Amino acid sequence: MAATQTRPPAPKMPEPPPSRHTPVPPLRGAWWKWGLGALMAYVIYGAFFIAKGAVNFTEDGNTARIVFFHVPCAILSYVAYAVAAVYAILYLTRDRNLQTDAKSATGMELGFLFCILATITGSLFAGVMWGSYWNWDPRETSIIVMLLLYASYLVLRGAVSEQPEKRARLAAVYTLVALIPATFLIWVVPRLPWLQSLHPTTTLVRPANTSLSYKAVLYPSFLAFTLLFVWMFQLRYRLLQLMARKAGRLENE
Amino acid sequence: MGRYVDTVGSRGVSAPARAMASGGSGWLAEAWALLLKDLRAELRTKVALSTVGLFTFSSLLLLSLATATLKEKLALDPLTNQMRPAWDAAGKMGLLWLLLCFAAFSGLSHAFVHEEETGTVMALRLSMSAGAVYAGKLAFNLLILFAVALVVTPVFMLITGMPLGAPIVFLIVMVSGCVGLAGAATIVGALAAKARGSGALYPAIGLPLLVVFLLLLLNAANTTFIVHPPALRLVRDIGGLLSYGILLITVSALTFSFVWED
Repeated sequence: MAATQTRPPAPKMPEPPPSRHTPVPPLRGAWWKWGLGALMAYVIYGAFFIAKGAVNFTEDGNTARIVFFHVPCAILSYVAYAVAAVYAILYLTRDRNLQTDAKSATGMELGFLFCILATITGSLFAGVMWGSYWNWDPRETSIIVMLLLYASYLVLRGAVSEQPEKRARLAAVYTLVALIPATFLIWVVPRLPWLQSLHPTTTLVRPANTSLSYKAVLYPSFLAFTLLFVWMFQLRYRLLQLMARKAGRLENE
Repeated sequence: MGRYVDTVGSRGVSAPARAMASGGSGWLAEAWALLLKDLRAELRTKVALSTVGLFTFSSLLLLSLATATLKEKLALDPLTNQMRPAWDAAGKMGLLWLLLCFAAFSGLSHAFVHEEETGTVMALRLSMSAGAVYAGKLAFNLLILFAVALVVTPVFMLITGMPLGAPIVFLIVMVSGCVGLAGAATIVGALAAKARGSGALYPAIGLPLLVVFLLLLLNAANTTFIVHPPALRLVRDIGGLLSYGILLITVSALTFSFVWED
């Protein structure tokens, strides 16, 4: 009988080039993160002590303070979906690179987080403004359906977690198919003339509706939350890369 | 591997085999062949029809028990400031479509899951293009929904007293609804079958897609039961419902090949 043959060692996966930074977005270094911290501290301080007055809110203006947190979260939940959709298209049509899929997944995960924050802050506003935390207002309905779309995406990814390529394909397709109801919820529902909504619509659109002190906090809050999104995107994407690298190492042991 | 070629000869050759063997007919012939194959299998086993039909009728029974006293109640309409039935015609149609949505997501996953379970996916992949598979499965799901809606709707109208409204408009709304529902159910069925998740995955990822569809349907239902609605409103509301279904089907058709590939 032939002697027992030992299996040749499995070929090692080539190590990806080391990089502390993600290619997109291009912000690097720590300087902008310190700046973000200072900006966010200013926004929080300004929301309670600097900003005064906006139309369509209570007379004392206190209900308008949540706008500095609610509106950026709502906008970013939609931006995150757009980012995820772009990477989904790139994955399917260009490179089939799992790093592109990781960026799409990161966008959807952050979109889910910001959607939750927008729902909670919006609900708090509704409770104070209209006496009821949930009214099935068209805006409230659309944000909760967005939440369901994000959650479905995460459920689908979780169902195929052992097969990265298949998971990436199916998740990308679902992102694009769900883009239709998402677009309808984001752009169409708020503008349907027959849907009466309690949600303020013109406060931030017309500059005359907000005071100078309000604008002095509002615009920095948009910038601060956008930079926060970028930072969280970088962190989450880097974490996914490290997890993928570790999984590749485990398979080769 | 090329197209399926029937080696038996022209006598006793089925219509699908003749359609495919004729060649040059493209994906339409392939889709037609797949539809006929699915219909034939369905007529033998009646799995999808019985699942969807039984679910709908059971739900209808529960619904009629639960709403027995609702029919007599009146409510104040905030728009007109007048008393009207608490459960109006548009509300009834919304509930009918809720039943059909849940029924669809209980039974229409069979179209793709069956192929995965019996191992015929490879044969389909080798013999047909992805577009033809999608078209065939979509057509099959559409026919199942039409059949169920055709039977359930009159029964629902008898039980709940839902009026017909303008017959042509009613028919267009029902057809548009079936198109949108079949479009969503088909692509979600393909995704769920490929994911090989539990049976709960199919409705879990599919029902959120339908919320917007139901919103549009309720809006179209409101228009259906208005006496002499303006033409522009008809085009806007019912056109909106139909266009949602067509958009969904278009994006699904464009992306199905990525789901179908192995």
